[in-house]
Amino acid sequence: MNDMRLEERIVQNDKIKIDAQDVQVFYGDNHAIKDVSVAIEDKTVTAFIGPSGCGKSTFLRCLNRMNDTVAGCRVEGRITLDGEDIYDKRVDPVQLRARVGMVFQKPNPFPKSIYDNVAYGPKIHGLVRGKAEMDEVVESALKRAALWKEVKDRLQAPGTGLSGGQQQRLCIARAIATAPEVLLMDEPASALDPIATAQIEELIDELRTRFAVVIVTHSMQQAARVSQKTAFFHLGNLVEYGETGQIFTTPRDPRTESYITGRIG
Amino acid sequence: MTDVIAERPAKPSLLTLDARTRRRNAAEARFRAYGLAAVMAGIVALVVLLASVLGNGLGAFTQTRVTLQVELPAAKLDKSGTRDIEVMKKATTLTYGPLITAALSAAIKDRGIVVEGLSKKDLSGFLSKESAAQLRDRVLADPRLVGAAVTQSFLVNGRIDGYEKGRVTMQSAEKDSNVSPAQLHLADALETAGILHTGFNRDFVTAPDASDQRPEAAGLGVAILGSAYMMLIVLILSLPIGVATAIYLEEFAPQNRWTDLIEVNISNLAAVPSIVFGILGLAIFINFAGLPQSAPIVGGLVLTLMTLPTIIIATRAALKAVPPSIRDAALGIGASKIQAIFHHVLPLAMPGIMTGAIIGLAQALGETAPLLLIGMVAFVRDYPGAPPEGFFDPSSALPVQVFNWTQRADPAFVERASGAIIVLLVFLVIMNTAAILIRRRFERRW
Amino acid sequence: MPAPWIFLIVLALAAAGYLAGRLRALAVVGGDIRRLHSLPGYYGWQAAMLAALPALLVMGLWLLIQPVVVESRVEGMIPEAAQGASLSLVMTDVRRVAEGLDLAVSTGVMSAAEATGLSADGTIRATLGKLGVALGSGVTPEVLAAAKALRTAEATGRGAMAAVVLVLALAGVAYALWRIRAEYRARNVVEAGVRGLLLLASTIAILTTAGIVLSMLFETRHFFAQYPWWKFFFGATWSPNFRGGSDLGILPLLWGTLYISFIALVVSVPIGLFAAVYMSEYAGRKFRMVAKPAIEILAGIPTIVYGLFALITVGPLLRDYFAQPLGLGASGSSVMTAGLVMGVMLIPFVSSLSDDIINAVPQSLRDGSLGLGATRSETIRQVVLPAALPGIVGAVLLAASRAIGETMIVVLGAGAAAKLDLNPFEAMTTVTVKIVSQLTGDTDFAAPETLVAFALGLTLFVLTLGLNVLALWIVRRYREQYE
Repeated sequence: MNDMRLEERIVQNDKIKIDAQDVQVFYGDNHAIKDVSVAIEDKTVTAFIGPSGCGKSTFLRCLNRMNDTVAGCRVEGRITLDGEDIYDKRVDPVQLRARVGMVFQKPNPFPKSIYDNVAYGPKIHGLVRGKAEMDEVVESALKRAALWKEVKDRLQAPGTGLSGGQQQRLCIARAIATAPEVLLMDEPASALDPIATAQIEELIDELRTRFAVVIVTHSMQQAARVSQKTAFFHLGNLVEYGETGQIFTTPRDPRTESYITGRIG
Repeated sequence: MTDVIAERPAKPSLLTLDARTRRRNAAEARFRAYGLAAVMAGIVALVVLLASVLGNGLGAFTQTRVTLQVELPAAKLDKSGTRDIEVMKKATTLTYGPLITAALSAAIKDRGIVVEGLSKKDLSGFLSKESAAQLRDRVLADPRLVGAAVTQSFLVNGRIDGYEKGRVTMQSAEKDSNVSPAQLHLADALETAGILHTGFNRDFVTAPDASDQRPEAAGLGVAILGSAYMMLIVLILSLPIGVATAIYLEEFAPQNRWTDLIEVNISNLAAVPSIVFGILGLAIFINFAGLPQSAPIVGGLVLTLMTLPTIIIATRAALKAVPPSIRDAALGIGASKIQAIFHHVLPLAMPGIMTGAIIGLAQALGETAPLLLIGMVAFVRDYPGAPPEGFFDPSSALPVQVFNWTQRADPAFVERASGAIIVLLVFLVIMNTAAILIRRRFERRW
Repeated sequence: MPAPWIFLIVLALAAAGYLAGRLRALAVVGGDIRRLHSLPGYYGWQAAMLAALPALLVMGLWLLIQPVVVESRVEGMIPEAAQGASLSLVMTDVRRVAEGLDLAVSTGVMSAAEATGLSADGTIRATLGKLGVALGSGVTPEVLAAAKALRTAEATGRGAMAAVVLVLALAGVAYALWRIRAEYRARNVVEAGVRGLLLLASTIAILTTAGIVLSMLFETRHFFAQYPWWKFFFGATWSPNFRGGSDLGILPLLWGTLYISFIALVVSVPIGLFAAVYMSEYAGRKFRMVAKPAIEILAGIPTIVYGLFALITVGPLLRDYFAQPLGLGASGSSVMTAGLVMGVMLIPFVSSLSDDIINAVPQSLRDGSLGLGATRSETIRQVVLPAALPGIVGAVLLAASRAIGETMIVVLGAGAAAKLDLNPFEAMTTVTVKIVSQLTGDTDFAAPETLVAFALGLTLFVLTLGLNVLALWIVRRYREQYE
């Protein structure tokens, strides 16, 4: 069945959105990411898989410079967004993060109303003029996150009162309300039950029509279900990167094969 | 579906800052500056506070004295000629005073000092009123001195002392009825002659308090002893009671209303204004139980009640920090719960308990308000006796002595009060350093 | 026999009991401790505990109750004529004469027989005066008789107490020794005793609160018997007069208290909060290592030091550079002086509480905001602080309670004049200042001018207790939200 779904997905656009070259990440003396080069395509879901502690989340956080907030973290190499080096001195991470949004492992809605959660990004970036326009932005973000029907009558209720799956979709709505070009998702379904997970996965498939989506997951099945490209990380190295179907059916590297068949990880 | 989200203006380059981002970064910098300013405000307040105390108080540790040779005529001091102490006690300070004044004027004459406008009153007022008492005490302690001449250094009047320390100037002396410019000129001349000098003032830490008229003689001896007695009582009472309470609450207390009541009580006692404890001490310990006023025992009891919450909270934190695996290990080889706690958990929690106890004691040492209410403001010149009887003798306490001195008219007492605070702060620094060292030395990470 | 000696003898008996119990336990099994249920030390401990605990408990209760019983019996001897309002004065005299006689006997001025056979002939006052016991008036025969009765009753009581306590201690040891058998569970008994002691210790906190509330309630009732409560709570003038006819309205005192606390909070809350934010969100490790302890030192400085700082530095400074040039007053002590200095005192209090609260906000919320491209200050202002708001409100309430109850700073910095005024450079006074001034010096515990202090104390206690309970409740609910 998986195979059938993989067949259906035709990569529509092979334009490269983010290009990482020889990226090294150090935490103090710890060399966490070694020589990783990867090209992330626009309007594609790219999955990072690998055993825990392999560096996939760390690498993801390099892509919108969230690692800047960690003391003692150092990034070397070159990562470009549309050809511009995001670690260039002139780049303000605030502007970068408006274009490369992020959804986290645990749903983290702000202790505000549902409406204010979604409106937060557009407000700080000054993307809308007036209340009417904000209402439209909030509505369309919630619709795109497949949450609108459930919350349209209680937009002023606190976001923390929603169920786990709803909270995570709220966080996705919050992220897409700022109109990012890339959406980074760090194990977005790991804290959710199977039904909520299925909803999120469906949503991810929707999202790729507009954004480049990068998703970190510890579940190989999930990677196989949602992604077109897969990168396998092991001990800080990028072992293999390619079409999802190819990685899961004919892995080139023995380590990838061991992981996929469940011998390591 | 209207697609408002995609309507973003032409994609800007990451390498240039747009106007909005620049504005937001400026707001960021401003916010950060406010934070830094707040921290700096705190630090500046600390520096100004310490500078003010040190600037005003360091003078208390030096004192100006005049060294004089005083004749002690037997005819005046011991009319019976038997050197009987009881008879000699009849010669009061009024007899000794003129002897010292005479010695001063002899010293002036010998050294050929001429000061214009120096009246007789200026001369007798030059030295501290305490000097006659000093001399009398010395003679009574050693009656054989009578009939000979003794050399002794005498305290000068507080204003003259202030002149030597720069607190009193010629200009201020002209307006001051307690000191004349002639006396200041005399002080200059005596200093040149080498018999007036300003040196370290040991008496400030050892001597008892002195009356309103003689700030130059006032010391902290009784207050330090009183504070020490109170701290001893606080330590003896609050440490066992506090630790016992904490052990009960942390290890034995069942989950019920009674336990909740105790817990709520403790957290509230920690926040009750200190003056309320003073009212408690006055009503219960003095009016009801009939304990004496101004006594270290009452102060100690009141401060014990105030210190208990601190020690209980610190001990509970220390007990909580000992991992349950230690308890399980002891219980697993058949120790009883009490044995597990007293043999294993408590020793491991000891550094934390000691740190908490020292910090609690340091708070108690600086506490003033409750002591005012239990009569520790009284003027006490006699040292309390040795414990345990001494716990019931009238006494003063360091912070109360500071308060006492602030209530006196003579500006020289400002210097004394600030000096007393320096002594108090030195004790606090020592105690807190000890607490930090214990924590550093024994700190364990589980 | 004086109480400390009895105490020491009981302790000695307990020590002897320990040794005897241990030896007896060993003797019972012929030195083979494997046959004992508990270690030999426990048999010793149970003997020591049975000796000391009941005896000391009885002694403590006796010491508390005896004065009350004796006094009430002696009071009965005072003739009706002298009773009424002056009863307490007469009793003071009686006590003083009795103390004087004790002193006279102990210093050898009088023999014990002389003291009991004394008649009221006017020489007593002189004799006692020589010993430093000053008596206000001559000693009437009734007072002397009462004083003698007081001495006899006290002596009898003390003797009886010594006998009862020592007999109890001995009986305890004997009973403990008699009970010792090989299979006797000494450890369980000792441990039950220890648990009892721990429980006893933990009730002291409750006893303290009860003592505070009861003592103040008791005296406040006396006060309201002499002064109408509505004049106290709603009176706008405070002018105590020890010759009677005082106005004792609390409003001007409350106004001063609240005004000063308000200024203190206006100073300390923004500074403390911003300092906490800077320390936890911006400062580098090195800066924090220096600045944090520096701010904490402010918290360790006794309030008397702040009081002196207000009196000799801040007060004159404000007077010379603000109040006088602006024509607002010529007083060094003022609401502004006390408020500013108290604000400085509260900075570390607010900042350390806020620090805890800000750190309790989960990092995931910060990440969420930063991940959307918010700057740090936007994250703090729009996510962290609103999330921490309940906790911060709790912290401010705790700080307010501190400010209201603070004494030394206002005693030295605020002044003594009870006024309802808006000018912050005017000297005003507070509830705590008046408690101190009404209860220090010579006080007459029958006069409303003294008793009012207890009513003020109770008001203060209720006010701060209310704030504390509210604040602790808010903070606890806040913490539970993120746990």
